Amino acid sequence: MSKQLDLQLKDIDKKTDRLVEIDSLMPLSAPYDKEGMEPDFVKVKDAWKEKYCTSLDGIIGVDTLVRPSTPEEDKFVHKFINGLAKLFADSNKNFLQPLTLTMEYCVKCNTCSEACHIYKSTNQNELYRPIFRSEVLRKIYKKYFTRGGKLLGKFVGADIDINWETIARLGELAYRCNLCRRCAQTCPLGLDNGMLTREIRKIFSQELGIAPTFLHSKGSVRQLETGSSTGITKAALLDNLEFMEEDIEEKTGRKIKIPIDKKSADILLTHNTGEFMAWPENPAAFAILFEEAGLNWTLSSSMMGYDNVNYGIWYDDNMAQKIALQQFQAAKELGVRRIVIGECGHAHKAAAISADRMTYGENKVPVESCLPILWELVRTKRLTFNPAKNNFPVTLHDPCNVVRQMGIVQPQRNIIKTICPGFREMTPHGVDNYCCGGGSGFAIMQSLNFADFRNKVSTRVKFDQILRAFGDDVGNRDIVKYVCAPCSNCKGAIRDMLAYYQATDKFNIHYGGLVELMVNALSTIDKPYLTFTDELMP
Amino acid sequence: MFFNIYMILAVSCFIIFSAYKAWKFAKMPIHSRLDLYPIPKEAGRAEYGGSYYEEIEWWNKPRAISHIGEIKDMLLEMLFIKKLFVKQKRLWWASYSFHLGIYFLFGWTLLLLINFALPLEFISYITSTVGIMGFTLAFIGNFLLLMRRIFDSTLKKYTTPQEFFNLILILSVLITGIYAWTTCISPQQFIGQLLSFSTLQPGGAVTVHLILLGVMFIYIPLCKMNHYVGKYFAFHKVLWENEPNLPGSNVETKLIEAAVHPPQTKWSAPHISQ
Ligand code: SF4
Ligand code: SF4
Repeated sequence: MSKQLDLQLKDIDKKTDRLVEIDSLMPLSAPYDKEGMEPDFVKVKDAWKEKYCTSLDGIIGVDTLVRPSTPEEDKFVHKFINGLAKLFADSNKNFLQPLTLTMEYCVKCNTCSEACHIYKSTNQNELYRPIFRSEVLRKIYKKYFTRGGKLLGKFVGADIDINWETIARLGELAYRCNLCRRCAQTCPLGLDNGMLTREIRKIFSQELGIAPTFLHSKGSVRQLETGSSTGITKAALLDNLEFMEEDIEEKTGRKIKIPIDKKSADILLTHNTGEFMAWPENPAAFAILFEEAGLNWTLSSSMMGYDNVNYGIWYDDNMAQKIALQQFQAAKELGVRRIVIGECGHAHKAAAISADRMTYGENKVPVESCLPILWELVRTKRLTFNPAKNNFPVTLHDPCNVVRQMGIVQPQRNIIKTICPGFREMTPHGVDNYCCGGGSGFAIMQSLNFADFRNKVSTRVKFDQILRAFGDDVGNRDIVKYVCAPCSNCKGAIRDMLAYYQATDKFNIHYGGLVELMVNALSTIDKPYLTFTDELMP
Repeated sequence: MFFNIYMILAVSCFIIFSAYKAWKFAKMPIHSRLDLYPIPKEAGRAEYGGSYYEEIEWWNKPRAISHIGEIKDMLLEMLFIKKLFVKQKRLWWASYSFHLGIYFLFGWTLLLLINFALPLEFISYITSTVGIMGFTLAFIGNFLLLMRRIFDSTLKKYTTPQEFFNLILILSVLITGIYAWTTCISPQQFIGQLLSFSTLQPGGAVTVHLILLGVMFIYIPLCKMNHYVGKYFAFHKVLWENEPNLPGSNVETKLIEAAVHPPQTKWSAPHISQ
């Protein structure tokens, strides 16, 4: 095993149990700057070593990438190489230009390294340097597909052996990146290691049929079969909505009939269905606000109309397209004027950006974020607030998909500045934000020991940002502190992070969406919407 | 005559190969959107990284595009390598010195031609000054870049032999150039002979320099040193290309055209092929 700083690119083919150990982590800010404040990594089981690829860093992200029998190994490598060729063929024409640019032009200046929160949180572990995986892919590509690589080999960098371990490690390494594209922002040549990482994931999924269970079979496939990646069917959704109406009445005293399948409504509001299960107060808050503002809106209960997630954008163009087109179709059938995406970052990007060029003309319905609409309701005073009701420190997490990848930065800030007197920014924020650590599927990948990587590594920088944003207030357990994350995936990652570090139990740090804060401050509702009833640890 | 033809050929190769590279990128199919904010052409919003998606019903509003913002950013990047300056100042000094030196050397070449047509003393003076600055800056920058690649263990780890070769090739062109133009023949005199197609009889040092210079001109557009082409596409046609696909838009037209040629190569995973 290499010490993390000594790791060389050509080690990727090395016969060893483990390429690197994650043996050094960025220290956290107070009060997490003392020993014993976080659990250790779960030990890798021997049975896992035999079955999966644990020879990268001991973490298993791709639980479907299982060790084949020896004669099958060559076939696997061969298939991967075929897939790599297809990345540069007409089968991948939607990405050909950006991919070719990033493959050809990297000058290895390493400007992008410091931008990466995973590299940073592991105290610069070489394995997680953004160009490490890109360079491995380049080496393989050169070896098989360029004249220079075939003729000059080592001279142009085509100097690694390609065997099952090499490819499997690369596959695992593609799931040590949140696809947050913060690195791309800093590249002087405009190159995109995040995009390249997703291309590696695509080879595995689209050619070899290998993708993490929670993204593919229990994600996209389930969504296409049942209507939602959560498995919630239409009947279950309708039940949920009934409960939600009762809950709203109990909490606010209001009798609200949530509009469902209303033909020709102005707005089709879509949620990440995970909200109905984990955070029903979020879609409920949307209902309260939209009803109070008198908007002409509806939810859909039709297949592919009620879950706005699209996990395909993390690993598979084919799945992404199938889902996006059916979501447009569901909106078309309802005859709505526009689709408005609730608080889910990747759903924002999937529907507005990634799907924008998947079809055209009559097949499309305009897609809009909920954030400008909510700000408009605040700005024009269609909703009125008593900010004193949000009399606790609040910080805002910026979902990468909403800010860096879509350019929606101000509306959420304007709202929060209006309704939360104790608002403070994280550093950095806006388009320069750090990923929550749950991006690109990490928030939902729960197999084997992957949660360890998420909680200890990929969410680490975000956790530290949260601690720093609350500063001295962290230690004061009497003060409720609220991390506002207007994104279901980010909330998932933050929920797990706060639980892992016992930050709610010990320090009264809570999290939630933006609309919950809005309802909590509505001047027309007397009772608090946010209650923060969790017991603090003695 | 050999050198006259060789140099004209080398420069032509540089231009033609570079243009071919640009043409190859330009004719690539329309790609999925990969917006990355801040995008400098977003008028009034570029400063903080905002976009038209901050507007309600953005598709019904006229788009506020600032070409000046985009050009300003492009110039800052071309003339000052701004991103590297902001993100990695240590490397910027060397890289900027090198690139600025090359700009000066291009300027110098142009001035030599002007000076040939207008043999005025003050032009000759400016030409020499620009040439000296070009060689000095490019040499210092190239040398520092090479040293960093050799002695910085991280940079070294990721640098292939070819990338060392690239730097050494340019360094050798610069060194032989400095030697040849300061000790063998004045560049003004040489350019005069070259352009009047009189038979060139350069001495040993000039010969070596010219051969290396020609090789460099032919080689640059064939390797990744042609990033002057790629950088334009990476920013303007990928990261900053946030044109929405609205009815009647250019994007829609391109998509309709692209749909005529569906992909022939198919992916093989069971969930796609079955
Ligand atoms: S900043 Fe860009 S050119 Fe430099 S190493 Fe990173 S990807 Fe390569
Ligand atoms: S996309 Fe994000 S996580 Fe991935 S390498 Fe770049 S900065 Fe790191």
